Amino acid sequence: MVRGGGRAAVLVLCTLCAGVAQSCGRDEMRPAPRELRINLETEPPSLDWSLATDGISIIAIQQLMRGLTRLSRDLRPEPDLAERWSVSADGRTYTFALRPGVVWSDGEPLRAQQFVDSWLRLLAPETAAEYAYFLFPLKNARAFNAGTITDPGAVGVRARDDATLEVELEAPLVYFPALVNFMVTFPQRRELIERYGERWTEPPNLVTLGPFTLEEWRHEYRLVLRANPRYWAGRPALDRITAYMVEEDSTALVLFEQGLLDLVKLPPLEIRRYRERPEYLRQPLLRGYYYGFDLRTPPFDDARVRRAFAHAIDRAEFPPLLQGGEQPWPSWIPPGMPHANPQLGLAFDPERARALLREAGVDPATLAPVRIVFNSDQTHKLVAEKVQAMWREHLGVRVELENREWKVFLKELATNPPPVFRLGWGADFPDPDNFMNLFTSYSENNHTGFANPHYDALVLRAASEVDPATRQSLYDEAQRILCEQDVPIVPLFVTASNFAVARRVHGFVPSPMDLYFFDRVSAE
Amino acid sequence: MIRYAAGRVLAGVPVLWVVATLTFALLRFLPGGPFDKEKTLPPEILRNLERRYALDGTLAEQYADYLGRLVRGDLGPSYKYVGRDVSDILADALPVSVELGLLALAIALGGGIALGLAAGTRRDSALDRIVGIATLVGVSAPSFVIGAGLILGVGLELDWLPAGLWEGPRYAILPALTLAALPLAYIAQLTRAQVITVMHQDYVRTARAKGVPEGRVRRHHVLRNALLAVLTYFGPLLAILLTGSFVVEKIYAIPGLGRFFVTAVTNRDYPLVLGVTLVYAALVVAANLAVDLLYAWLDPRIRVGGAER
Repeated sequence: MVRGGGRAAVLVLCTLCAGVAQSCGRDEMRPAPRELRINLETEPPSLDWSLATDGISIIAIQQLMRGLTRLSRDLRPEPDLAERWSVSADGRTYTFALRPGVVWSDGEPLRAQQFVDSWLRLLAPETAAEYAYFLFPLKNARAFNAGTITDPGAVGVRARDDATLEVELEAPLVYFPALVNFMVTFPQRRELIERYGERWTEPPNLVTLGPFTLEEWRHEYRLVLRANPRYWAGRPALDRITAYMVEEDSTALVLFEQGLLDLVKLPPLEIRRYRERPEYLRQPLLRGYYYGFDLRTPPFDDARVRRAFAHAIDRAEFPPLLQGGEQPWPSWIPPGMPHANPQLGLAFDPERARALLREAGVDPATLAPVRIVFNSDQTHKLVAEKVQAMWREHLGVRVELENREWKVFLKELATNPPPVFRLGWGADFPDPDNFMNLFTSYSENNHTGFANPHYDALVLRAASEVDPATRQSLYDEAQRILCEQDVPIVPLFVTASNFAVARRVHGFVPSPMDLYFFDRVSAE
Repeated sequence: MIRYAAGRVLAGVPVLWVVATLTFALLRFLPGGPFDKEKTLPPEILRNLERRYALDGTLAEQYADYLGRLVRGDLGPSYKYVGRDVSDILADALPVSVELGLLALAIALGGGIALGLAAGTRRDSALDRIVGIATLVGVSAPSFVIGAGLILGVGLELDWLPAGLWEGPRYAILPALTLAALPLAYIAQLTRAQVITVMHQDYVRTARAKGVPEGRVRRHHVLRNALLAVLTYFGPLLAILLTGSFVVEKIYAIPGLGRFFVTAVTNRDYPLVLGVTLVYAALVVAANLAVDLLYAWLDPRIRVGGAER
């Protein structure tokens, strides 16, 4: 008799079932031919290559634009928009000859002045570009950015003619051709930026010259890129790239397994399950992971104590713990980077560690607990717990772990660094200077309080040293100070990216700089 | 009635001001700023940024500037999403959240009332017990657990529905069900309890004695009175749908407003946090107002105007 409620319930269930049943038509879930669907993870904060600073924006911008040089597989700068370049005898002036016949997606030809416009915009104080410092090596660039010089003509970049760009540096810089592969040095169309204002990066306003153009930008959801028929090196094999922004890596993996995405980064816990599958791809990165000491806090004001703590870490324990393709590495310049040296750094040696601690007069039994602070994250927690266990076992010291939310952690590093902290560093350009510069006394990224004039001098000299053998010996000496003698940091390992790539996709080759280029990728 | 409504709307303004001020103060109290990065910025670049975003004044100046712009309806630029205003972001994201929220609301109301009525009118039957257990699970399981279960079960294992993205009606089913689970279960429990109470009221007995058909009794006497309780729950229900959307939009990769609530705070994107908070506060204030007006309209025992209830 009681039908009212019962009938309604049945109705609701039926509606739901109908929704599910209707799902049998799965056509919309299939990719178009020659379409690549990737996961960008989050919204790119900006597609303006003077203002973007993060890895996500870089991935998108690299498909849309090109620079003077591009990096080869072994990370050497090769001609791209510059057909060739030369450097003056004193190493301060670079001259780039632009490739003829390059046009923007609206048909306008590429001109040297477009580089000048872009670089001056990057450096102008009112642009407030975070990455303006990439061009600080240019003559007067830093002063122009600080506002102490207001004449843009004084900055060391000019177009000698439409096809020739001339750059004048403050001091010789051997890696300058590698620097101009980075997005902040890409050319810009000043007249379009002036016409559209802040919306110049929105489609259809955005005009680019790379293998793809921007067709759609649905914020927080997806980017759609189209093959650029005017691309100077020829139309790419893909017609279209759809880059979704799926933040949850586990959701992205289910979408990959449902065939809705072709390329995703694997969550750490899933790597073991994927390792033997043909879809699995691993790429070691130029990204170091280290523990830093605050040299102003006892007992870490004594180099012997820091060496003792470094000797008490067995790096071989990290790869099986983390499972992400980490490679133990006891020195600072990562493997794959020119001038890296596997012979340097302090190895695991508990005997020596205890002896050093005794020598320094530190009694582990009476030593106050050592504080390790890291930003809240599963991987960082695992590493910290492992280090805690190793220091307790091999040195007999008590260790306390504290985690902080990311921005709180960064604030603390800048204002009141903890005795021991974790950090990482990824390469912006493939030159050791990018890593070694970090621990100079004048670096904003040196949170340890380490200041060694000899180290500073070595790093400064190496940046302008042309001879590879001399450069190697300079970096070796600097690394010995950093990782064996003064030890403000203990490099632990370098990290890797782990991907799942659909079998319909061919030719995807990630780079050790965590960059992706899809111009040579094809999809069935 | 109109005077009452206008008064209530005006009373919402100080509420929003308090929310805006508290959020402003709490954000600045939080250590770490929008431009603290893994790669520390040189001081001259930091100064340029602070000038660009008017963060170089005193806190009082910044607050005055912020309130002044708020009054003019300008929510300011996002610090994280360069070149986008907070109002652009809200205009893009809010409709998506509203769509998802309305869908979940419909499922929660339809399913919850139907199940509650079915269980309440058949007290202690097998159906009642099943509904009892199911609603208990729905009320107590957090939405990320239900979401993960649906993604893995219906998405990955059965492969019936996409486990994420926002491409059309089929893509909305799993997130809407996840979002609706908690309020649906609660509404079912509420309806069942009300139905059981109302079934023993004199006017129901009278109706039956008069020979009114059972179906009509249920529709006109039992259901209508039981629904008043559900209506009271409308304000909290909206709050649940809004807060639930933080999690649901993130795990299903839906371009709504909820995900900003968390990411804008971790990015210290002050204007965006303030914008999102104000929108949600305004929604809750509006919902409560709507409930009160509806209630007054449905139940003449509640007096409006003159002496307040």
